[in-house]
Amino acid sequence: MSVESASYRVIYPRVRRRRSPIARWYRSNEPAVLGLAGLASFFILWQVASNAGLIDDLFFSSPTAVLQAAVTEVQVPRFWSDVQYSLTEVIVGFIASLVLAVPLGLVIGWYRRVSFAFDPWLNFLNAIPRPALIPLVVLWVGLGIEMKTIIVFLGGFFSIILPTVEGVRTVDQGLLDVAHSFRASQRRVFTSVVIPATVPFIAAGVRLALGRLLIGVVVAELYAQTQGIGVMIERSADVLDSARMLFGVLIFTLMGVLTTGLAGRVERRFQRWRPSANLDLEEGV
Amino acid sequence: MAASSELALSARGLRMEYRDRSSDTRLVAIETMDLDVGDGEFVSLLGPSGCGKSTFLKIVNGLLKATAGEIRLRRSGTGREDAMVFQDAALFPWYSVLDNVAYGLVCAGVSNADARKRAAPLVELVGLQGFETKYPYQLSGGMQQRANLARALAVDAAILLMDEPFASLDAQTREVMQAELLRIWNAARKTVVFVTHQIEEAVYLSDRVVVMSSRPGRILADIRIELPRPRLLEVKRSAEFTAYAAQIWKLLASQPAAADSGRHG
Amino acid sequence: MVRANERLFYGILGFIVIGLIWEAAGDLGLYRKSLLSTPSLVWTAAVQDFGSGAIWPDLGTSFVEFALGFGAAMVVGIPLGIAIGMFRRVDHFVSLLLFGIYSTPKAAIAPLIILTAGIGLESKVILVFLLAFFSVIVSTVAGVRSVAERHLDIAHSFGASRWLQFRSVILPSTFPFILTGTRIATGRALVGVIVAEELAANQGIGHYIELYGAFLQTSRVMLGIVLLGLFGIILGEGVRRIEKRYEVWRQEIH
Repeated sequence: MSVESASYRVIYPRVRRRRSPIARWYRSNEPAVLGLAGLASFFILWQVASNAGLIDDLFFSSPTAVLQAAVTEVQVPRFWSDVQYSLTEVIVGFIASLVLAVPLGLVIGWYRRVSFAFDPWLNFLNAIPRPALIPLVVLWVGLGIEMKTIIVFLGGFFSIILPTVEGVRTVDQGLLDVAHSFRASQRRVFTSVVIPATVPFIAAGVRLALGRLLIGVVVAELYAQTQGIGVMIERSADVLDSARMLFGVLIFTLMGVLTTGLAGRVERRFQRWRPSANLDLEEGV
Repeated sequence: MAASSELALSARGLRMEYRDRSSDTRLVAIETMDLDVGDGEFVSLLGPSGCGKSTFLKIVNGLLKATAGEIRLRRSGTGREDAMVFQDAALFPWYSVLDNVAYGLVCAGVSNADARKRAAPLVELVGLQGFETKYPYQLSGGMQQRANLARALAVDAAILLMDEPFASLDAQTREVMQAELLRIWNAARKTVVFVTHQIEEAVYLSDRVVVMSSRPGRILADIRIELPRPRLLEVKRSAEFTAYAAQIWKLLASQPAAADSGRHG
Repeated sequence: MVRANERLFYGILGFIVIGLIWEAAGDLGLYRKSLLSTPSLVWTAAVQDFGSGAIWPDLGTSFVEFALGFGAAMVVGIPLGIAIGMFRRVDHFVSLLLFGIYSTPKAAIAPLIILTAGIGLESKVILVFLLAFFSVIVSTVAGVRSVAERHLDIAHSFGASRWLQFRSVILPSTFPFILTGTRIATGRALVGVIVAEELAANQGIGHYIELYGAFLQTSRVMLGIVLLGLFGIILGEGVRRIEKRYEVWRQEIH
């Protein structure tokens, strides 16, 4: 080989910078800091735009105005009865859907042919946008709280029953074989194999249901105009009291964040063990 | 033996530390490493999980930056000096076999058509002729790793870095792939740095086995394997082979098992 | 495959049987026809309204509202979502805000939108856009976030430029998630169309349903519902078929 060595590329180590404790704290909490900064910027920009007259106060209001409206509203008993009204629809509707959809789903899914038979109708009903069902439900039960609860219920019901049926249908044959080889009774097979295997699917359905809960409430209340936060929103909009209207929207945002957050919890707790596509079933409307 | 007395790779005083952001503790993956690899040599890095062997490869390849120490790579005329053969899930599911193999070339600026032309003979070399238009999900694990290897060969780098490429294969396929690798290495005459935690594999394939300790990693021994080449699979049953394996096994047996599953190993 | 045929067979059987039960229950007077109508009555209404052409303008209006709002949401949402996902700091900056807006039922703003944009096409398109947009963008960002680090390592290892990394790794990885987001968005968009029409419109299927609901013409209400259900299924199935084709591109690397 040649007397002089061939040229080399040198790989150097990382240059370490001493970081102040503040910088280090920032680095490990960056996502939260930035997220809060983003939120704050949004409100600041909104307020500034409102003050500068860049946006029409009448329609878009401003953070301070909404805050004032909030302070006023929470002292009015009517507000709290509206909140209670809306909350009742949500909670009763959801729980009812859970209580009915899970057992029904388990039973339907267990008998494979029956599940095939129900599939088309279940999928069809799930695909119907719920606002479209409102006039029908009104024909049944009028404009009261029952109508809204039923609308919420229907959304939850189909969200939960479809994945549940799918879950029962796709229980691992291997696990069933184990149960059968130990001569387990039908009931035991069900409780010890089928139900635990279906839990992730039920959880996925619950997650979907939680995400769609509020749409039903809002839409039903806007339509019926009797009571609830939706009515508060509509009435405020009618008199161009956008601050109060946005406060109503904020209440729904709060409820939405809670339900979506809960949905996320459910998802993480029951850990998806399959790629998302399979469990992102039947997100109808 | 090395084809020339030139060094393809030379590491001095290499050290790798991780700082855990939340608890602010330090994790030493590599305590210190001095390693020379000659041109055309086949060197294995062998050690328990988490001993820093994969970390070493990543530092050479540029995926990680060392905390301290330097590495010198002999320049080749043609682009990159090194190419990595990754462990698993190494092919892009959305590209055909041919396009996957051609990928390294495309990254280097070669046109798609030219890259495919240059990749085609390599697909043959690794025994995948006829599968050029297939997609990774249609291939077995062994076949995927062949394509993985072909991709690294296609960029014509002097040094091949192989990160436990056969770890996810079953025993039979693994043996076949080991023999295949030697055949290809003979034909392509590259320098290879091969990471594994299987003693048999290291002894069978290499000119030298560099044994590393568990974390914090450092070199325990650098053992020259004086088995004649070309090596057939039968050599695994020879007395010399068994002796080497036993020697290494004793070295490793004195090492504590790693606590975690070698995420940084 | 026996399985697929069984599924189809019992599916069709079940569909027909339940339809027959519905018809029989109605005709036998087990419930008041004004509550649920019967398949035959719905069919009659369909023949009438399609035959006379009365329903076409409504269908057309709803479809246009849907297409415009949904199309705009995709055109704006996908690139924006990719851009956000690719720059980590930007992603963190907007994520809380996006989450808040995403969790808010956009329908609650419908009255405001109708107030500002009137009862014509614009207000519907805006509402549909808002509903679809946030689904698309959240799914797209999630898709970019899910790009396998291993694949980026490979691109980096072979020296790919940022642009090539984008084309060869990020875009294909994100695509299945974009499809899922699109599927979810079609459902939301449909809700938007109907809500806006029910609140203030003089055309469209939502309006159609509401109108005949007020007149107690249940069969037409059912017709509208059936048409919407069909549309929803066709859209959903369509996207799902495409999703399945690209399913292999979705990698779970842990």
